[in-house]
Amino acid sequence: MGKGKDHGLSRCLTALVVLAAILVFTGLIAGSPIQASGKTLSIIVDAVADRADEAEIIATYLRAVGVEAEVRLWEWNALKDRLEAGERQMYLSDWGSAYFDPFDLVIPRLATGDRGNYSGYSNAELDHLLDKVQRLVDPNERKEAYFKAQDIIFHDAPWIFGYALNEVEAARVEITNWQPSMDSRINLHDVGITQGDTIVVAMKEDKIVTLDPAMYRDRPTETVLRNIFDGLVTRTWDGKVVPEIAESWTVPSDNTYVFNLRKDVKFHNGDPLDADDVVFTFKRIMEEGAIAGQTSPRAGLLGPLESVRKIDQYTVEFTLANPFPIFPQALVHFQIVPEGYIKEVGDSGFAAKPVGAGPFKFKEGRLDDQIVLERFEEYYGGSPEIPPIGIAPAKTAIFRMIPEATVRVAALKAGEVHIIQQLPPDLAVTLSKDKNIQIKSVEGTRVYCVELNCRRAPFDDIRVRQAMNYAVDWDVILESIYGGDAIRLACAFLPSGFGFNPDLAPYPYDPEKARTLLEEAGYSVKR
Amino acid sequence: MTRTQVQIIERILAAIPIMLGVVILAFLFMRMIPGDPVDIMMGEAGGVTHEEMASLRAQFDLDKSLPVQLVLYLGRLFKGDMGYSLQRARPVKEIILEAVPATVELALFSLLFALILGIPLGIASARYQNSIVDRIGMATSFLGISMPGFWLGIIGIIVFSLGLGWLPTSGRITYGMAPKSITGLMTLDALITANTGALKDALRYLALPAVTMGAGVAAVVARVTRSSMLEALKTDYVLFAKAKGVPDRTVTIKHALRNALIPTVTVVGLQVGTLLGGNMIVETIFGWPGLGRIVVDAIFSRDYPLVQAAVMVYALTFVVINLATDIFYTYLNPKMTL
Amino acid sequence: MSVNAEHVDSLKRRSLGSDTYTLDTPVPGISRRPWSGFRNISGILFKLKNHPGAIVGGFVILAYVICAVFAPYIAPHSPGEVALAKRFVPPVIGSINPLGTDQLGRDILSRIIYGARVSILVGVLTVAISMVIGVGLGLIAGYYQGSFDKIMSRFTDLLLAFPYLIFVIGAMSVLGPGFWNLILALCFKGWVEFYRLSRAEVMSQKASEYVEAARALGRTDGAIMISEILPNIIHSILVLGTLRMGNMIVMESSLSFLGLGVPPSIPAWGSMVSDGRRYMLNAWWVATLPGLALVVLVLAINLVGEGLRDVLDPRLKEN
Repeated sequence: MGKGKDHGLSRCLTALVVLAAILVFTGLIAGSPIQASGKTLSIIVDAVADRADEAEIIATYLRAVGVEAEVRLWEWNALKDRLEAGERQMYLSDWGSAYFDPFDLVIPRLATGDRGNYSGYSNAELDHLLDKVQRLVDPNERKEAYFKAQDIIFHDAPWIFGYALNEVEAARVEITNWQPSMDSRINLHDVGITQGDTIVVAMKEDKIVTLDPAMYRDRPTETVLRNIFDGLVTRTWDGKVVPEIAESWTVPSDNTYVFNLRKDVKFHNGDPLDADDVVFTFKRIMEEGAIAGQTSPRAGLLGPLESVRKIDQYTVEFTLANPFPIFPQALVHFQIVPEGYIKEVGDSGFAAKPVGAGPFKFKEGRLDDQIVLERFEEYYGGSPEIPPIGIAPAKTAIFRMIPEATVRVAALKAGEVHIIQQLPPDLAVTLSKDKNIQIKSVEGTRVYCVELNCRRAPFDDIRVRQAMNYAVDWDVILESIYGGDAIRLACAFLPSGFGFNPDLAPYPYDPEKARTLLEEAGYSVKR
Repeated sequence: MTRTQVQIIERILAAIPIMLGVVILAFLFMRMIPGDPVDIMMGEAGGVTHEEMASLRAQFDLDKSLPVQLVLYLGRLFKGDMGYSLQRARPVKEIILEAVPATVELALFSLLFALILGIPLGIASARYQNSIVDRIGMATSFLGISMPGFWLGIIGIIVFSLGLGWLPTSGRITYGMAPKSITGLMTLDALITANTGALKDALRYLALPAVTMGAGVAAVVARVTRSSMLEALKTDYVLFAKAKGVPDRTVTIKHALRNALIPTVTVVGLQVGTLLGGNMIVETIFGWPGLGRIVVDAIFSRDYPLVQAAVMVYALTFVVINLATDIFYTYLNPKMTL
Repeated sequence: MSVNAEHVDSLKRRSLGSDTYTLDTPVPGISRRPWSGFRNISGILFKLKNHPGAIVGGFVILAYVICAVFAPYIAPHSPGEVALAKRFVPPVIGSINPLGTDQLGRDILSRIIYGARVSILVGVLTVAISMVIGVGLGLIAGYYQGSFDKIMSRFTDLLLAFPYLIFVIGAMSVLGPGFWNLILALCFKGWVEFYRLSRAEVMSQKASEYVEAARALGRTDGAIMISEILPNIIHSILVLGTLRMGNMIVMESSLSFLGLGVPPSIPAWGSMVSDGRRYMLNAWWVATLPGLALVVLVLAINLVGEGLRDVLDPRLKEN
């Protein structure tokens, strides 16, 4: 082959490479052109990576009615900043409720200007209702107000209403008497194990934030802490408030709660628990700078609580500024700490080596690695309404942080851990074939939806918002992506929460209706 | 003082403005990222008042103007106070000191694996250039470079933990096996206390993450060793030694290798920085309680003081290791100046 | 994973001192390589003929580029076509989905073919942009030295000491998601290496005879930099570029792992591997096959890079 020819060949190749680069380039930026007649509705669907698949399906449904939809993936806190500024259009979001009441779900999410209201939705009538309901005491009146609120929200459709995902957990067959709870708490007091005496729980989190019950605001931390500490009251797995350290309580007036404490409760260091510890616990949270100069981030969770007072050694009185009927639900989340011990070792000493009155003692551990707890042999037995009563069956309990789902499942299969949280639905199918594994699921308390920015076009038009609700077939999404382990919601309320209207039917999947509504609003559609 | 010593001191002095710059950069950088740390701290609970958030903001100086915050931060930093973590309710220094040994241990073992695998592979490839050994060795090294660490890690877990049951899936040590903490490095502590059980256990936990992380480095080490060996084998003195009739093996090991190791040392120096700073994904996969995971989490939760401190630790490591390799370098080749 | 072999190579050359043959000191006969445009490139391609590895690599790259360009004609399905009825279909050669389907029933083969577009673009663009910025600044800093050089050196020291991944995560959070932002974020620090390398090379070339000669002929600084020095240093820069390309593609997958990758409607191999890792226990193919596509491309790029090094490196040419 002559040299000249070779040069020609390579020149051709070079030209080809350059040409190819240009083509790839233009191909990528041009995207797929959509034929449009009239005004096409063009939307960017924002989501976080965890819900990317769902977002992609929703976009597919929207395209089917002629909406130009494209998905963007964000880091949540960066997205949230832009949501609050009202810059985005449509975004997948979710919100957990801990109080089994719309108080910490519907109000922060949909009251005008509240901190979880990313859709910018504002309805004066609803605001009035939500404001009123917070001060109502009579359950029937509250229920009535919430029913009315549901009708308003349903009609206004500030979101594409979504679903509540079930809490799916898996355990080895050696584990006995284990029941996932709706508030995703893992209570090891009742759980037994037939092989050995150590139970290992794999948590899906990267870390828990602290061992001081006054310094956190997230659920995973609470899950671990509530095995070390007990509260005045606790909750059954399905959300009922029952006494724990408190023997009973009375409500002498709308603004007053009086708790009578058990007399047999001891902290892990041997100190008896009495009213002083309870008062100290709450004052520590309510007072500014009470924890080594830091303020507890938990004060707001106590609602209108004004003061806590010791009546006698085993009686405590809580006074509220205004009626707050879910106060007992709120108290579930507050763990009683030992006054004497904290004063002795200081707040940081306490956080490093916590002492509580719960079924397990803290032994050792690191917040982002594993936390080892040991059975407290002098435990008073726990809530009389959640059997079994007595000391915990397991001698040692370990919480391990395994953030990667696949690894969590692998560790369970390998027998390294005994209980895992948040089982991915597709792996649940695989795991259900494993004879050594049991899977349980329970209704969750987190509402998933797609928020629509009501402040700006196109979603300032109620017809477009309703059209979006008609355009998406949630049943198919929930069945395929979440293996049916989810509950379709008609509105922003949870079935497990107070004041849920079971007769309110969700928007049906009706693409034709969606098209009609979009056309009415002046957009072109695809049939 | 020798000239080298003077130069080393100069280098250390030059590192100070770099460190200061890194701190300021990290400070400004974090505040550019959208997201409100106090809002994140409050989670999703209802009933959060604006007053409550304002008071928290004031507590962390977040209500002050940016320059004031920076001055306050630097002032405390000079006193050795790295601040208080916004998310973890603990002094930042404690968190960092707790995480560093785990990260260092993993980095060291990854490096060890990389050297044990990479150097012989490189030598063999160079010695038998263009042979089948060379081809396979180099192709494998490309595989090591181009496969994402998390994929390799998960494959490792599926094969060695789940399939064969040889190694644990994740974590650092079995509960109850941990040796008495002296240095924080499990293996070293186990050696010091002559606790063979703990050593074995720690090594079992280290194996998968270290191999996953070391694979890429091993590839780089192999490639650099190969190319510098090839070069060294062509130098006059090696050719001369060969001509004199020194056996092949001796020439390779004694004459060529010493020179060829110079660039390898530099690469290793640079890679240690990468190993320490780029390990967040491997740490996440294996639930390894190191600094990388903390940093990613801290960025996502806008934990300003924690990110700033971690960046500082990384930068310091980078500067120190660069200096160390340079010093080692002059030692290997006195002709070179710093 | 940051590979810095080339930077090290140049370091090492300097360290060997002026008594050995290095790029730093002008070697008689090859002291000046002028621009020759296309002929230069085709000449290089011609010389690569003797490197079987590079040729194979070149053809593989060509095949990928063809796939990328003609993706709509080659791919059996649309890459975004969701088919929930057939999720996780395993790969069977000869079936409708020869490489299986993913968690949304999308055809993996089609996604890999379309994914070539993004992945190649990510590699090429980030490297090209980094190269232009880095070499441009490196030329100026290395040629004039002085205070500009001092400031730049401090600045790049600072950037190098700042952990890369932290930098990229932060940059993505500031910029928001999107293909172009990803490119931008990857370039933020990518240029530093090119800057370092070209600056060092320029400094060593500056004193050489041909530059002196050009100066004596009264040529402007700009002309000397662009048409005299640049051709002499471009080779080592190109080699570093080929090595970096694979890194950048892998980097995209790391970002995707952290939830900051390209949008899901644009298939990219990195994101496919990172999303698919969740299904490794029940559907290995979802993550593994796009990963293999990536490995083969990086392998090919590196083979060509290796070949280029052999061809362009004057030391090896002499032997």
